[in-house]
Amino acid sequence: MSAAAMALQVEAVRRSRKQRWRRSLGFYGLIAALALVSAYTVLVVDTDWARLGSLGAVLKSVGRFLAIDWSLIPHLVEPVLETFMMACIGTLVGAILCIPVIWMGALNITPSRWIAYPLGRFLMTFSRSIHEIVWALIFVSAVGLGSLAGILALAMRSIGFIAKITAEAIENVDPKPIEAIRAVGGNGLQVLRYGIMPQVLPVVLGTIIFEWDINIRRSAIMGLVGAGGLGLTFHRQMVMFNYPGVTTVILSILLLIVVGEVASHYVRKAVT
Amino acid sequence: MPAAATARTWSRYRYPASLFRFLALLAALVFVGYAFVYLDVRLERLLDLFQRLGTLLADRYYPPDFAFLSTPRYLGSILDSVQMAYLGALAGILLAIPLAWFASYNMTPSRRVLYPLARLIIMSCRAVHEMIWTILFVSILGFGMLAGVLALTLFCLGFAGKLLSEEVEAIDKGPVEAIRATGANELQVFVYAVLPQVRVAWTGISIYTWDVAFRAATVVGFFGAGGMGWYLQRHVQQLDNQRVAAIIISIVALVLASEIASAWARAAVAKGK
Repeated sequence: MSAAAMALQVEAVRRSRKQRWRRSLGFYGLIAALALVSAYTVLVVDTDWARLGSLGAVLKSVGRFLAIDWSLIPHLVEPVLETFMMACIGTLVGAILCIPVIWMGALNITPSRWIAYPLGRFLMTFSRSIHEIVWALIFVSAVGLGSLAGILALAMRSIGFIAKITAEAIENVDPKPIEAIRAVGGNGLQVLRYGIMPQVLPVVLGTIIFEWDINIRRSAIMGLVGAGGLGLTFHRQMVMFNYPGVTTVILSILLLIVVGEVASHYVRKAVT
Repeated sequence: MPAAATARTWSRYRYPASLFRFLALLAALVFVGYAFVYLDVRLERLLDLFQRLGTLLADRYYPPDFAFLSTPRYLGSILDSVQMAYLGALAGILLAIPLAWFASYNMTPSRRVLYPLARLIIMSCRAVHEMIWTILFVSILGFGMLAGVLALTLFCLGFAGKLLSEEVEAIDKGPVEAIRATGANELQVFVYAVLPQVRVAWTGISIYTWDVAFRAATVVGFFGAGGMGWYLQRHVQQLDNQRVAAIIISIVALVLASEIASAWARAAVAKGK
């Protein structure tokens, strides 16, 4: 390569770099401008700084939380258990309910590409796009107060994620075992059982355990809208302005979640 | 040796392992059954669930009061939700970037101090549900969007921090060693060896974080933090069910739209590199 060609190439690289730099500058400028506008709305228009008071006042209200209400602990055992069981059953029901959704929404096993497949995909997104609080509100008004509403809300919220990951795993299976089973005369159900299931089972179990872990967090807030568990205790402590009690409930939630995380780690190791 | 006289039954697990698996399964079943009893689940309520849902939807929630959706105050609250989600996601991601660096076991500058500290921060942000953060901030700072933004920031910090640090833990060590061999310090290694490798994945995660933040932002108002959830809570308490139906429909439509947009943006980023 001659020196002139080399110089030309260097020049071209420099120009393209400059261009890219300018474009990314515009992009980050846009992000920053939007952030400024939003920050203005939040901090200047919406916040009443006079009522918020000085930093000292805020710190004082933070300080009220920094204590533990030991007398509450015996009353926490039952809601903790309830929360944990709600998460378990909710995940289980969700895993069962998502089977037809997976069947419709996986491209290679769907009964019809034009009707069932889009419907399955829609159900997956739909289930995930409704927040668990909204699901809980719907089910509390349908089946009444109590843990059944929480279980159903958790189940509905879990369907989307489990179904999506499983459907993607089914779409990516190795077709050779399926062909082999077809070749020896297996019918559709047998293909499903011996060709597809062994391939996707580890993924499915891992996803269910992951979702179970998240559901413990979610089931801790179901009580806020009347669906049982620790959320109800939390709400009660909050409306009684018993701030140390609130801290105690949060610590018990954390404890439950740590236990869940450790358990899910070992269960995952055991099943996969 | 004679030809196998007895047909051998093959099983995947031999005697002790198979027994343990059976017992574990049995224990899980007993636990689930006991949980139903303990929670006092009225299964008979399930039977008329659909009927009740049907009459509920037909008599009380139908027809949704769509006229309410186009009132200026509700449209304003949608904008509020979008802005809260934007600020929360942005602040959460910006805070998550250094934390993700510290919390990735392979690249952290100090495994003794910063690694566990960053892990702890990310885990505790993730462990507490965003609604509980919202309630806490509302009780400290009062009603309004500020509490919502802070709650969403912590939520996004936990969410993005975990995903970003997992991405860093999966990088190729080659460029890292090359940059380190030139005498670069930890920050330079991060900027020139780690960032270029994770840039695309991090962009995708950031878009996804926005998505999750918006979904949460539509309901944080339920506990007093501004946005559409505020109206949801008000009309739920007033038993103004036709408005509740309209608000829920609008939330679902907006979240679906944002999800589709973000899926498209993520695909574009992954393709464009």
